[in-house]
Amino acid sequence: MIKVGLIIDKYHLEKKVNEFLGYLKTVAYVSIYLEESLLLDFSKLNFNEDIFFVKGKGELLLNLVKLIENETSIPVINSSKAIWLCFDRFLNSVLLKKAGIKTPDFSISPVGVSPPFNDYIIKNVIDQKNYAFKPKIRKINGHLQVSDERAINEAFKGKEKYEFFYYQKFIKSKWEYKVYSIGEDFYFYKQIPVLLNPDKMKSRIEINPIPELKDKVIKIKHLLELKVTSVDFLKSKDSVYYVSDVNSTPNFNYIKNGPKIVANYLIEQAKK
Amino acid sequence: MNIGILSKRTTNFTAKLRNYYEQEDYNVKIYTKKNLSVNDSLMENDFFILKSKKLQFLYAGYFLEANDIPVIPNTEISFKCKNRIEASFILKSLGFNLPQIFLGTFEAIKQELDKSCFPLISKPIMGSGSRGVKVINSFRDFKKDYNKIFYLEKFIVGIHYIAYFINDHLCICEKKPLVDEHASVILIKTPSDIRDIILKWKKKYNLLFGHLDIVRETTTNKLYVVDVGSFPEFSNWKCKDDPVSSVGDIIIERYETIRNKQSIKSKK
Repeated sequence: MIKVGLIIDKYHLEKKVNEFLGYLKTVAYVSIYLEESLLLDFSKLNFNEDIFFVKGKGELLLNLVKLIENETSIPVINSSKAIWLCFDRFLNSVLLKKAGIKTPDFSISPVGVSPPFNDYIIKNVIDQKNYAFKPKIRKINGHLQVSDERAINEAFKGKEKYEFFYYQKFIKSKWEYKVYSIGEDFYFYKQIPVLLNPDKMKSRIEINPIPELKDKVIKIKHLLELKVTSVDFLKSKDSVYYVSDVNSTPNFNYIKNGPKIVANYLIEQAKK
Repeated sequence: MNIGILSKRTTNFTAKLRNYYEQEDYNVKIYTKKNLSVNDSLMENDFFILKSKKLQFLYAGYFLEANDIPVIPNTEISFKCKNRIEASFILKSLGFNLPQIFLGTFEAIKQELDKSCFPLISKPIMGSGSRGVKVINSFRDFKKDYNKIFYLEKFIVGIHYIAYFINDHLCICEKKPLVDEHASVILIKTPSDIRDIILKWKKKYNLLFGHLDIVRETTTNKLYVVDVGSFPEFSNWKCKDDPVSSVGDIIIERYETIRNKQSIKSKK
């Protein structure tokens, strides 16, 4: 049987992969690398897995992936570069914009300096931790200004203490479109944007494939070196799709048979 | 010509560099954390000097390079010098000796680490120099932050050197262990094995200048590279030649080279 290494944090292990692990263990040997209990000794590395799958994006997980990539030829899904570029909102916006993929206008501005647009969302620039979007919405002189509690905290406190904000221009959209991709497969959904309805799953519906979005996701996967992902889009009133988020650890439980599809994809990749 | 300097300070080497360029009739603007907005407003400069490597400055570097504005030293190598894990991969690939490195939470360290590994040096993953560096002699010395990932290096007992280079000019000083770049040092004649390390490092990324912290282990006489920097303050440059004008001149030369390459590329 194929040997799969699951690189994961406690949060994902307890809450997100029950079904996936249940199935995976019937078709592969599984070893678990848990972020909270791992001590990496860079001089003593010995892996016998055929493939690694990463569910999480913490500092230690990311560096374990880098070590595996540097020291072995074992495939890792997703790669450290993909994980990094997904959780760093600023860097993926720069990269996507350069490649001609529409993202909302963005700016890094010091605390106290306004961005060059009036309607905006202040987002956490590095989306590496397991916590939810907590928006604070204000309307000032007719302009919508949204800030995420995490972004505000990280600008002023903790180890980050960035002293700047990451601003993204607000795109008014009736729906938020979500495209999952596992290898060559694509799954399309839409839901009411979280700012309008925080219970995103309540309004989520499966939709027919949208070729334009599929093309964009293919391009994004190539650019960010992603194998498994979900990409969020907003559609402006002039029908332009903007990428609002790219995720390297999508919750595939929301796809019908998602856990099984991902597990089978890993086995298939390990055999190559 | 308009030159932007990305720097956490407006003093020290940054101030000297600005003065040098202004004497040469260049326009210089220093961008600190207080006035650096990373957006199209940065495009007014011909090129940028990446003096500091805090996240805001690295973002500016990546943004500028994506928009074909030269950044010197380039952002990728500046990031890799700042990120100790990335730096360790490069140094290892060059065949240099590195101290043993550990990474983990306090709980994992307590469970898994052999006591014989002490003393250790705790360092920030993103950092350079002595900032945030601490000697760890036992489990009691850890700050009990259960979410923190600790980066630890085995302490190498030996003679510590700070090795600067500007172009082919090397300047090596002996220093006390674990002190910052500004502490007093003694200039020494460049040992050939240290010269080899510097030249190999410099060649790998076609670097103009920088520094390495190197330790010669007492028991084995082996050299270990324990830190790298893409843009030091040169506060302990004890050799001839003024580092400000040397660095200032080679930056301009590098900019001209990049601009010529861009111009040839755009004509094609």
